[in-house]
Amino acid sequence: MPPAHHLPCRLLFGVVFPRLLVSSSGLVLEQIINPYILYSLCVVGALGVCLALPRRGLSPQILGALIAALAGGLGLVALGAKNPQALPNAYFYIFSLIALGGAMRVITHPRPVYAALYFVLTVIATAGLFLILSAEFMAFALIIVYAGAILITYLFVIMLATQAPQEGEVEVLTKYDTEAREPIGAAVVGFLLLAVLTTMAFKGIPALTVPAFRPADALLADMPRRIERELRESGAIQSGDKVAIDQHFKATIDAAARTVQVTRASGTASESVETVALPETLHVTNAEEVGFNLLRDHPGTIEIAGVILLMAMLGSVVLSRKQVQIDEEAKMHQSQSLAASLAKATMDNRTSDGGGGT
Amino acid sequence: MSNPIPVPMNDMLYLFAQSGFPAPMAQSTLAHYIVVSALMFTLGLIGFLTRRNLIIMFLCTELMFQAAGIALVAFGRYHLDLSGQTFVIFVLTVAAAEAAMGLALIVLLFRRKESLSAEEWQDMKG
Repeated sequence: MPPAHHLPCRLLFGVVFPRLLVSSSGLVLEQIINPYILYSLCVVGALGVCLALPRRGLSPQILGALIAALAGGLGLVALGAKNPQALPNAYFYIFSLIALGGAMRVITHPRPVYAALYFVLTVIATAGLFLILSAEFMAFALIIVYAGAILITYLFVIMLATQAPQEGEVEVLTKYDTEAREPIGAAVVGFLLLAVLTTMAFKGIPALTVPAFRPADALLADMPRRIERELRESGAIQSGDKVAIDQHFKATIDAAARTVQVTRASGTASESVETVALPETLHVTNAEEVGFNLLRDHPGTIEIAGVILLMAMLGSVVLSRKQVQIDEEAKMHQSQSLAASLAKATMDNRTSDGGGGT
Repeated sequence: MSNPIPVPMNDMLYLFAQSGFPAPMAQSTLAHYIVVSALMFTLGLIGFLTRRNLIIMFLCTELMFQAAGIALVAFGRYHLDLSGQTFVIFVLTVAAAEAAMGLALIVLLFRRKESLSAEEWQDMKG
């Protein structure tokens, strides 16, 4: 007899996947969050988003947004209450609140320009989330590429594709901007998807293996020149000394003890190998780690990305080019007049004594 | 189930980074990020289904890309694997390509009918 809190999961998934009902492993969802809370919050969130979507006439948008925010906040609180010893830090709550609030506004704001600007807000808050996940490079790449490049393109297209109101005329929002299509159906489908997604993820997360311990700066072995420069700046080695390199061109470092083998060249005729401590300030940065991962582990993917970008560039040039139709008659007329003027020019050249004409 | 590896609870580290990079992240913390990602994806999906402005619909797909990026980085952080971040770069690439193509198409469609409504093109069934 399964415990009572398995019931909502079994009701939801027993219909769709009958095999889950008989699986002996049992559900581990309640290790992360109580399923009753999860599904009731999904229902409340769907209601809130449904109310917040724009519609004709009087629409309780603010009330809906508040209900949705309440549901989201309660969800995070319920998650945290289950494992109070491993809460994410305070900035997580701030950034995710801004990101989700911005996302909410993107889908509910009737004016496209404001929606795009709220999307910039979401992007920046997401970059903040990346920062607290120690992905500094991606955080700034996100701001530069998304907020700086893609969203500017969006704003350009929005401004190209909307008519400015005439002088003295009150701007009227178009019907397709102020009325949502099928808000109830979309909210139900979306939050059903959310329930399934979170259930699957939360069932899987406790089964994840705990990652093996990885020494912090092991990647330094791949950057012997960088170690050498740092050591030279800190005065630990002299100008002729070199970091010892093995046959794979890797520096022989001991990441746990933070030491490196150095070949001394000074004074004595025979080279001597010594162990030198790494400077305290020498650490692998996130950009270096991402760079090694990108270029060493995924070189083929970079090529594919390049092809995708090239195709997109060609495609957008071909698509947005203004189609100029020159009719055949005009083309023939133009070529005839061109030929006539060319013949005239050669005649003139021949009659004159060649001075100046080219 | 909490994480068996003890997480250093240095106050500053705890506030500024998710317990510092080499230190592992707890499973419950990972769940928080996954919830934010799933919520953002859901909002993007609802926006895509309900809004009728072509540009906003495109913006909502970008929202879904963002959500995927958060999930990728969070899982990469949990596994202490940089491939998650690398794949966010490719997600950015695809998003840029998609924006270029899609916006070119939208400009083209706008020139034809002088409207951004998706329903103007309802009759375009294969």
